[in-house]
Order: sequence, then structure tokens, then C-alpha cells
Amino acid sequence: MSGMKAVTVEKKSNLWRKPLDADKTRQLQAEITIIKDRCKGCGYCIAYCPKEVLEESEEINARGVHPPKVKDINKCAVCGYCTAICPDLAIFVKEKTEEKKEAENKK
Amino acid sequence: MSEDQPQNEIKPQAKEDEIRIGVYICHCGLNIAGSVDCEDVAKFASTLPHVAISKDNRYTCSDQGQDLIKKDIKEHKLNRVVVASCSPRLHEPTFRRACEEAGLNKYLFEMANIREHCSWVHLYEKEKATEKAKDLVRAAVAKVVLLDPAVESEVLITRKALVIGGGVAGIQAALDLADTGYKVYLVEREPSIGGRMAQIDKTFPTMDCSICILAPKMSDAGRHPNIELLTNSEVQDVKGYIGNFKVKVLKKPRFVTKDCSACGDCSKVCPIIVPNEFDVGLATRHGIYTPFAQAVPSTYIVDQNLCLNKEGIIKCDKCIKACERKAINFDMKPEQLELEVGTIIVATGADVYDPTSLQNYGYRKFSNVITSLEFERLINAGGPSAGHLFRPSDMMIPEAVAFIQCVGSRSDRGHLYCSNVCCMNTIKDALLIKEHWPDTKIYVFYVDIRAFGKGFEDLYKRARKEGIIFIRGLPAEISEDRKTHNLWLMGENTLQKELYKVNVGMAILSVGIEPRRDSDIIQRLLVLSRTGDGFFMEAHPKLRPVDTPTGGVFLAGCAEAPKDIKDSVTQASAAAARAGILMAKGKVTVEAITPRLLDEKCKACGLCVKVCPYNAVVLNKDLKRVDIIEAACAGCGTCGAECPSSALYMRHFTDEQIMAQVDALTEQDADKKIIAFCCNWCAYAGADFAGVSRMQYPTNVRIIRTMCSGRVAPKFVERAFERGAAAVLVAGCHIGDCHYINANVQTQKRIERLWKKMERLGLNKERLQLLWASAAEGERVASKVKEMQTIVNGVTPEEVEKSKKMTGKA
Repeated sequence: MSGMKAVTVEKKSNLWRKPLDADKTRQLQAEITIIKDRCKGCGYCIAYCPKEVLEESEEINARGVHPPKVKDINKCAVCGYCTAICPDLAIFVKEKTEEKKEAENKK
Repeated sequence: MSEDQPQNEIKPQAKEDEIRIGVYICHCGLNIAGSVDCEDVAKFASTLPHVAISKDNRYTCSDQGQDLIKKDIKEHKLNRVVVASCSPRLHEPTFRRACEEAGLNKYLFEMANIREHCSWVHLYEKEKATEKAKDLVRAAVAKVVLLDPAVESEVLITRKALVIGGGVAGIQAALDLADTGYKVYLVEREPSIGGRMAQIDKTFPTMDCSICILAPKMSDAGRHPNIELLTNSEVQDVKGYIGNFKVKVLKKPRFVTKDCSACGDCSKVCPIIVPNEFDVGLATRHGIYTPFAQAVPSTYIVDQNLCLNKEGIIKCDKCIKACERKAINFDMKPEQLELEVGTIIVATGADVYDPTSLQNYGYRKFSNVITSLEFERLINAGGPSAGHLFRPSDMMIPEAVAFIQCVGSRSDRGHLYCSNVCCMNTIKDALLIKEHWPDTKIYVFYVDIRAFGKGFEDLYKRARKEGIIFIRGLPAEISEDRKTHNLWLMGENTLQKELYKVNVGMAILSVGIEPRRDSDIIQRLLVLSRTGDGFFMEAHPKLRPVDTPTGGVFLAGCAEAPKDIKDSVTQASAAAARAGILMAKGKVTVEAITPRLLDEKCKACGLCVKVCPYNAVVLNKDLKRVDIIEAACAGCGTCGAECPSSALYMRHFTDEQIMAQVDALTEQDADKKIIAFCCNWCAYAGADFAGVSRMQYPTNVRIIRTMCSGRVAPKFVERAFERGAAAVLVAGCHIGDCHYINANVQTQKRIERLWKKMERLGLNKERLQLLWASAAEGERVASKVKEMQTIVNGVTPEEVEKSKKMTGKA
């Protein structure tokens, strides 16, 4: 597991080094649930996500639109704005619990 | 200032027959008398018009010499005085004071420089030197006749100060001024004051803990009743002049109110994690953070660029929920403050050289090659390693460490200058490693070790005693062992004349200091000058080291040049004292060399407005004329040179006065002479320097002093040619180093125009020469005069006649 995922390092600036405590810093891990068939394809969640985590998928759901899909889960800051803004209650985001993380690591 | 104008009005000239001049020719021991026949010159002077008495004496600047002048002014009813002696840059104030004490207006005094510009540079040509001295006296007498008495006007000083930059220099300057009793605004663009010193672990040569001695000063500055701390703020605009600056400061929102108790609960929940600038990226911080534990103010701050809450939309409310004291407020708006201050201290500090471009050292390629600033954070107890020095690649203690000196300094691959602090910093760092891990083998690769300060040599000796190995000769290359990440340093030991190949666990590049990359902003706002290195230039390198050419603006710390903490603090206190002097007086006199507008001649064309480097001339559309803001004017005279209708009366350097000097100098043998116009600050001072250094050059040059080469109007040059001068030299400060910011750019334009005109008229344009020479470049002045001899010799009588007839027309 790379501890770097949430740490943005600008290559050009003098802050180019991977911070020494990057691995120790508690990284938020998000779990995003999308109920695809509820989505009406308004695109609010994609447009308003501050970290640009989501994008439109190519599949077509029951309502005949393209539901969102997760582009880069590591970017997600679990702010929950997508959940708040979705008119159709189709997207939920929460922090991954410790147990789940451990279980994943064992695999 | 218009209200001051009546008392300084141009007084009518004394009627010609009333003018009584006293001329004093100084022997200066044998300094002048050795190569100039002073008695002869005095005798000659007595024959000049309006000269009432003419005397020569051994030392005119001595008390007796001054008393003689005072006595004569009273006894002989003198109303003008000329002293022919050394450079006016040396003794003009002395003689002006003497005149004033005898009741004569000090602006009715003129000096002829027959030492630096005559006796000292023509040591072996007594006859010609005497002729030249006579010429110079003739010119001084011709000018003194036309001088006007003047009263220096006063400008009131607002008793408040602005300090830009909250590093140790800025803090010290602010504290000193605040303790004196003045209100101080301390502006810092980072979230906390402290600057570079806060990042450093220990200080040399005493090995004091840096933040331990700085933190008390920081909190003193933070709670001083006279200091208003403006962090996270930037100076946006400065208008006005000495004593009356109007400054616009943008105070960016912190989004955290003063209720913050700095508990850090918000930071823990913030999902944003980025490298911390304060730790040079070696540790992380959150989007809401405090840069370091001792920060002042201790209030947390939201990083506006990274926070998810932008444009007023709260997308993430984790910190708001976590804050018990409800101190987080995303409704804060940027504020624009308008401050009125009388003095400004620039303490904007310096940047650190980035060694990435020196590819042979492998910085950014090899993780164990670090800079000295990164090292400071690595060995600092408050840093990412909690003070247990290890190397970045594997967090292990390195067995051997190498320091490489002069990285980015003293080399054309970085900066040419010496960065002043790196040698001692390395010695201190090496001793610190010894303190932490005594068994570490430490190499220092150097060019020269410069341990020049108090206690520095002792520290250097101690380092050698403790077994630190100093090797002269920088490594040519660093390469990395891919498996162990150890480094191989290869180079030549120039003392032993042998090659070395050293294996170390970590290499520290002792990087230099460079000017702030954005110092051009402050330069523009405060109309400062910078040296070729890019640091801000002082008004005089020896005698006014903290003043700037802009009145009321002072320098402190690394903004002026690389320096250590002690020097920065010393300079800050000096700057505070200089600013304090102005504010204690509450007013300042402006030398009466500023222009007066001759209303009836002004056509409001606005050409002078365009060339004024200080924005001191403003177009007044209602009255169809220009207004001169006297306090902002520095008296360079470039407006006067530009004015096509002679509407600007440049006091003490009027058109008539300069023309009279030209006429006097071209009265005899003009076709053998070079008339030189030299700016007071560089070229004239350079010619003085040539004199002090006894550089010998031909005697046929006659120098006329103007404050700036920008004062030299084309008509002066044309007049010299009309009068039959063989050649004309216009000399000023190097472009970019102008004492008046950039007035010499106008000089260049005017000379280029004159060259074109001469070409058009079929004249040899080589007869007009332009020279840039600094005050230290006497050699340039001397060799230019030598070089011009071939031009002078090549000027035929026909050519002279041609220029007499043709210049001035067309």
C-alpha cells in the first residue's frame, strides 16, 4: 500500500521529496457505493466533486443514462458532498472501517 | 508641496555689479600644490569678473581656513564663495556650513575639484595641470555668479512605520521601533512570523538553539501594544514619498478566528495531506494547519488553495465539526487595508539556491543527497525525524557524511558571489552530527573556508580538533550505489594534488543564498535599485549601508545581501534607528535641487511626466501645467533635460549655470578639449576614485558635475560643440544601477538621438561618447579619456568649424 496516494507532491517546486512521515500519516480510505439504476444522469456528483473522483461511465442503466463511476478512489476525501447533492439518493460515501482495511490487506 | 513654494521662490538675481566673489585655492599640503601652481591660479582667479578677493592657503578645510572664509564674508561683504580644493563629494558640506555660519546662504557656494580631477591625475605635468585648475576655477566662478539662494523645504513625517517581512530582521526592526514608541505594522506573507531562522536548528558560533532564542522575540512582537501583526498578508501598492507613504496591504483570510486555542483537533480530521513547506517537504501537514509549534500567531490557518471549500460552498465540514470552540469560519473575506506610514523597512529576506541544475551532484536523483536547509530540519528536534538524524533513503544513521561547499556560490554555474554563511553553517552542522552520533566520519569538501567573524575561527579549529576532515577541492561528481544508496564522491584534492574517491552514506549540499525570486515586485513598489546580484542596493556601500536611494525606505537582513543572523539583527537595529531618526525629528528637509516650474513657459505637453522615475511630476489638466511633488522628487533633473520649452528651472543645476560652465571651459583652446558631463553618484565618483588611486590620464578633459547623467540636455552637448570643443563625454551609472532608478535610460536615448543628428549633419559622431562607469571604476573613466585622445587628435579645424555652424540647427 502506498502511503503517497493522498499526498500531492509537486515535481517542480522544492517540495519534491516524499515526506518522511507519509507512511505514518493516517490516510482516509473511502468506500463509494453507487446505486446505478437510481441514477438519472444529472452529473451533479461528477461536476461538484472537489477532488474529481468520479467520471461518467460507458454503461447504460435501467433509466437509459450513463451512471457515474469511480475514477480514482484514492483521491476521495470523504467529504460527502456527492451524497448531499444527489437528487436521487443514488450515491453514498463513507470511510472504510479498520476491520475492512485489515481484511483487505490479508487478502 | 505647493504650500512650501512661496518661501522658496526664485529670488531675483542680485544685480551684476553687486556680486562679490571670494575665491580660495587650497594647497592641500602638497596634494594639490605638488602639481598645481596654486599662487598662480589664485592670481588668475582675481582677474575673473566679480571676484572681490582671491587667496590661496595650505588647508582651506582646516578651522583656520574656514575662519578665513567666514571673516572675509563679513569684512569684504562677499556674497558668493568658490573653493578650489578636493571633490565636492568630500567637503562641500563643510564649506557650505562655514558659509551659513557667516550668514551666507549655503547655496551661494561652489566648489572646483582641482585635486581628484586635476593634481592627482596629472602628477607630472605641472604646467598643464595649472592651466586645467584655472579652467576649473573659471567654470566655478561662472556658475557661482548665477547661483540662487535657496531655502530647503520641510516635509512632515508620519510617526508610524511599516516593516515588510517578519523574519528575524523584520522582527528586530519592528521591536526596536515599537520600543522607541512608534506604531509599527509588521507585514508577513506566510501564516507565521519567524522566517528562515525558525527553520534552523542551531546557530553558529555559539551553538544556541535557534528557535529557543527566536521564539521569545516572536511572541514579544506578537503581543507588543505598538506592533500590529499582519500575517498572511502582502503589500500590494505603495504611493507617496518619505514621511507620507500610503500603503495598500491585502490581508488574506485565515478562516480561523482568534478564538482558536491551537489544540489541533481540526488538523487531525482534515482529509488534505500535503508536504509541509516549513519542513522543506520532509514532513506532511494538513489543509488546516499551523506551520510549526512556536508559530506566532498560533492561530491555525486553512490553506485556501487546497481546502475543498471554495467559492463559499462548504463541501467538507470535518474541521468545523471537530472544533469545540467554533473558531472556524469560512465566511471570512480578504481585507484590503490602507496604512499611512512615514518610514518603511524592507526585510524581505532571501531564497535558498536550488541545486537541481547542478546535475553532477545528483540532487533529486539520489535521495541521500540533501541540501543544508533539509539537513537543518532533519537534525531539528521539532523536525520530521524528531532530532535523530538519519538519511532519507532508509532512515538509517549514516556512517560517513560529506558536506559540499559553495553549491551555487562563487561559480558561474550558480551565483558569482560568496553566500557568506555556508562555511560556518557547515562547520556548525558537522559539529552537530558529532554531537548526535560521535562515530560518524565527516568530510567537508571546500574551496576556501571563510571563518571571518567573531568566534568563527575558534569553531573551525574545534571542528578540526574533533576529527572532521577538511579536503580542498569540490567533488566533480557524485554517483550512487543502487543497492545500498550510498554515494561515491570523486574529485581532486588540490592541496595534495591527488584524486580522491570517497564513499559516504549521505551528502549535504551547502547551498547558497539568492535574492527572493519575486523581489522585483517590492523593487517596483518602492522604487529601489538592485545590484547585479539581484539584492537590493544600499544608498552608499560604506556610509549609508541601510538606507536606500528612496527617502524613508531602509533595508535589513538578507534582502540587502547574504548575511548571518547576527548581521541581520545588527542591520535591523540600524535600520530601525535610521527610521527612528526621521520619525523623532518629525520632519525632513529636502535639498533645494528640485525643479521649479516656470508657469508661463509650460505647455503641459507631459514629456517630463513620462521621464520622471519617481512619479514626482504630475500633469495638472485643469491648470494646463504640471505639478511637482517636491517631497517625492530626488532632484535628478531628467525632467529638465526633457522639457522642450525650458519650463523646468532645475535649481542649482539650471540650464544657464551649466551653459556658463560649458562656456567657461571652452574659452581657450576648445578644439583640444574634452568636455565631460559626469553624474554625481557614479561617473563623477569614479573620476574621484581615479584621482585617489593616482591613475594618470591626459589633461585635456574638463568635468562638469550633474546630479544624474539624465540632467544632460542635448543642448548642453550642442553648446559644447558650438563653442568648438573637440569631443564631449557623457558618463553615468551603469544601466540598471542608476542612482535615480532608471533616469540614465533617458540619457542613452538622448545620446542616441544626438548621434543620429550628428550623422545627418555629416559630423563624426565618435566625437560624442557615452560611458557607463560605477563609483569603483576609476580605471574605466581614465582609460576612456585616454582612448578619446585619438578622436581629439583626429578632429580637424574644418570639422570644428562645421560643428560650430551646424549643431543647434535642424
